[in-house]
Amino acid sequence: MKASTARAGIDKRFSGNWENPILRWNGWRVLPIYIFLAVFVIVPIIKIALDAFTDTQGILTFKYVKSFFTDPFYLRALRNSMLLGLAVVVTTSILGFCSAYFLLRYEFAGKKLFSYLTIFPIIMPPLVGVMGFIFILGRAGTVNTILMDYFGFLRPLNFVYGWHGVLLVETLHLFPLITMNLLDSMGKIDASLEEAAESVGSVGLRKIKDITFPLSTPGYVTGALLVFMWAFADFATPLVVGVQDLLAAQAYLNIVQFVDRRLFQMGIVIGVFMISLSIIFLIIARRYLALKDYATLSYSPVEKKTLKGWGGFLVPFFFTVLLIMAFIPYLGVTLAAFGKAWAMTPFPVQYTLGYFTRIITETPKYIINTFMYCGLAVIICITVGVPIAWILTRTKMKSRGLLDALVTLILALPGTALGIAYIRAFNMPIFGISLTTLWIIMPLVLAVRRLPYTVRSTHSSLLVVHESLEEAARSVGASGWRVFYNITLPLIWKGILTGALFSFMTSIQESAATILLAIPGWETMTVGIFTFYTSGSMNESAALGFILIVVGGLSLYVINKLSGKKMGGFFG
Amino acid sequence: MRIALHNVVKRFKGFTALKGINLEIKDGELFTLLGPSGCGKTTTLRLIAGFYQTDGGDILFDDKIINHLPTAQRNIGIVFQNYALWPHMTVYENIAYGLKLKKMPGTEIKRKVDTSLDKVGLSGLQHRYPGQLSGGQQQRVALARALVLNPDVLLLDEPLSNLDAKVRMKVRAEIRQLQQELKITTVYVTHDQEEALTLSDRIAVMREGRIIQLGDPKSLYERPNNTFTANFIGTNNLLEAHVLKGNGDGKYTVQTAIGSFMGIANQPLSPGQKCTIAVRPENVQINSERQEANSFTGKIHFASYLGNILRYDIMTSAGILFKADIKYPWGCEVMAVGTEVKISFAEFVCLLINDRCTEEHNLTAVGGES
Repeated sequence: MKASTARAGIDKRFSGNWENPILRWNGWRVLPIYIFLAVFVIVPIIKIALDAFTDTQGILTFKYVKSFFTDPFYLRALRNSMLLGLAVVVTTSILGFCSAYFLLRYEFAGKKLFSYLTIFPIIMPPLVGVMGFIFILGRAGTVNTILMDYFGFLRPLNFVYGWHGVLLVETLHLFPLITMNLLDSMGKIDASLEEAAESVGSVGLRKIKDITFPLSTPGYVTGALLVFMWAFADFATPLVVGVQDLLAAQAYLNIVQFVDRRLFQMGIVIGVFMISLSIIFLIIARRYLALKDYATLSYSPVEKKTLKGWGGFLVPFFFTVLLIMAFIPYLGVTLAAFGKAWAMTPFPVQYTLGYFTRIITETPKYIINTFMYCGLAVIICITVGVPIAWILTRTKMKSRGLLDALVTLILALPGTALGIAYIRAFNMPIFGISLTTLWIIMPLVLAVRRLPYTVRSTHSSLLVVHESLEEAARSVGASGWRVFYNITLPLIWKGILTGALFSFMTSIQESAATILLAIPGWETMTVGIFTFYTSGSMNESAALGFILIVVGGLSLYVINKLSGKKMGGFFG
Repeated sequence: MRIALHNVVKRFKGFTALKGINLEIKDGELFTLLGPSGCGKTTTLRLIAGFYQTDGGDILFDDKIINHLPTAQRNIGIVFQNYALWPHMTVYENIAYGLKLKKMPGTEIKRKVDTSLDKVGLSGLQHRYPGQLSGGQQQRVALARALVLNPDVLLLDEPLSNLDAKVRMKVRAEIRQLQQELKITTVYVTHDQEEALTLSDRIAVMREGRIIQLGDPKSLYERPNNTFTANFIGTNNLLEAHVLKGNGDGKYTVQTAIGSFMGIANQPLSPGQKCTIAVRPENVQINSERQEANSFTGKIHFASYLGNILRYDIMTSAGILFKADIKYPWGCEVMAVGTEVKISFAEFVCLLINDRCTEEHNLTAVGGES
């Protein structure tokens, strides 16, 4: 405490950071980073906000907003979207809390495998997920075929089409967000806090309700807000299962048509609405977390109990059922990617590599573009993200708070909203060309969307490297950059790599922003999936999805090897 | 409430933390478990609290075996090293929580919480969160929370180790006062020998999962029966020796590398037997004119001025360092390094310790007071 105030005092008296040569980064050296964030995050947001509040002559007007909030159609869509978001939060919270609690507090059969597989649903590309569900649970899917052929059902059961379908798909896709955030914050509860509760007579569910859960809220709130935002902004899932009565779906339909000016304007208003919502959420989360500083003096995790009897059976059963449900889309997509002549039978009767040959020979652009854009995006993520993490941990720059807030905001900004904002902001020609007609817009939007993962991962590994290690290196004569290369980098490269891989893995799955910004001839695989699917080429669509899943699974495997089990921090 | 441990064994993955602990803690006593880290003192406390289950032996509250009674039903109050105050509850809520669980009426809860806050001197801080309190204040809230339920037993797990030296002394005195006022059976865990001496009615010195000596502070300090205790509590000059002859009445003459000495032993020794002599620096005189039973010469090797004492490290002829304290250093000049001095000490301050004897003694008369 004393040392830090003394140090702050020194900082004021001497301009610049004479104590730490690398800290001379401040000022103009970090300017490019601020310019990048200003151009690709702040400008689009401001531009779309201006669009919503100005008319064609550029005069301030509230008529679009007013027309949005007085149109019963949009009000109903808004109410539906809110209800859907809340419902998904409730269902994912139940599943997420149970799975996190079981994984943290108990030893049971298959635990390692379950804890590894639990994160998988979240890496499922959104479109691929709903597609997979339809192959298995759709009207002519595996389950209905079996029911009708062998159990005498006359009509197929409707598992996925409609509201319940959206809820089912979103729940099984998003519950890991809650699980991971809870694993992170519940895992940090000091054992003595619960023991103290036991000593005053608080046991079982009472203890969970009064002590464990409240102490997990920092992670839970972040997870729940992300889930809400995700479900609120997803347009692909509802459209595929035939639900259009939602804001995100309307935004997409309004933006991709160029006929009706008013509809287009409504799309923009929805985009602004989503951005405002994520900013409000961000403020709530910050306020909430700032209020509750749960740091404890010591930290020893609660000991795991070995489950016996009914518990030892029911908990693995819970995970088995949950994961079978969550893995339905993987099965569906795999079967469709390889299955030939799959109609009216529970499973394909023949298998083929034909769809893969087709997508590789006829439309190689999808695969090539995806890897090129995502590779570029990762390079941008590292170039911009590592310095940001450095500024956050190692400098006392005043703009740190803003930087941190921006990075978190990006995490909460839905791809749908950012896509719309980019369309509006970058269609103005600069030097005769507008950015939205150039392919480079794709890696840029991907880099911005996935920047937080690289920043967070680098940030947390920098926090672990104590500054005294760097100071020791300087004390034996190493200069600024040499300290970074010889001391810091060897200690944090794993963190940077993990973050970069996570950015890569999530950017190959981005669909909202890429579908909105796709330029003919420069599409990505997720766009290809959408295009194939809407044109009826289910199998080609599934083949692309299969490739995405394999790449995602491999990345996840490597990330797991690199970072152990500290994956929770990525989404928090 | 009396507490008894009978042959308690606790094993963790790969090692045995407690290798048969026997204890009888009296009603209303402040009993301290003292030892270095890893000696099993916290494990013992956690067994009494019910956070661990025994792997052997019995734990009794009064005369009832409570091995399998869950913590919540043992009616204990516990203060943790890190206080373990629930950060999402205010001071008031922290203290009131246990009362609420007992479905006590609100006014009654308020009265009790207020009284207990008053008792620990924190009235007015009800609505603060733990994060807004100093270490000493948090400590007192933890104490109030443990005591508000009128527990039969109070368990304190190194409650002072996270406090500044000055605050520690103050809280230490407060804890002792409160405990005597309430006459509550208290088990106190610490690695700080000074803390143990000032606070306790009785102390059990633990090492490697065993109790190696048990007694009141005075007997532990003045008559340690093993070299570990002699070394762990206070400072001692320890010298290897062998017995030359017995002088009757528990007195013996022994031979060491720096000459022969006369001392007293707890257990009978026989000529030729190996033992260790233990002499506390404060019982040693430098250049005293008094004729003492034991004396030898040496040279000043190092002087450390501690304020209340002046401690000399004296190099003896055999190359062994011997510590001696000047108790009232205000008027004294600090002697220069190399100065030749005479060291002397009385027969009754020269303890002859035989570790093997002690071990056998402990094994046969398990848990008894020495």
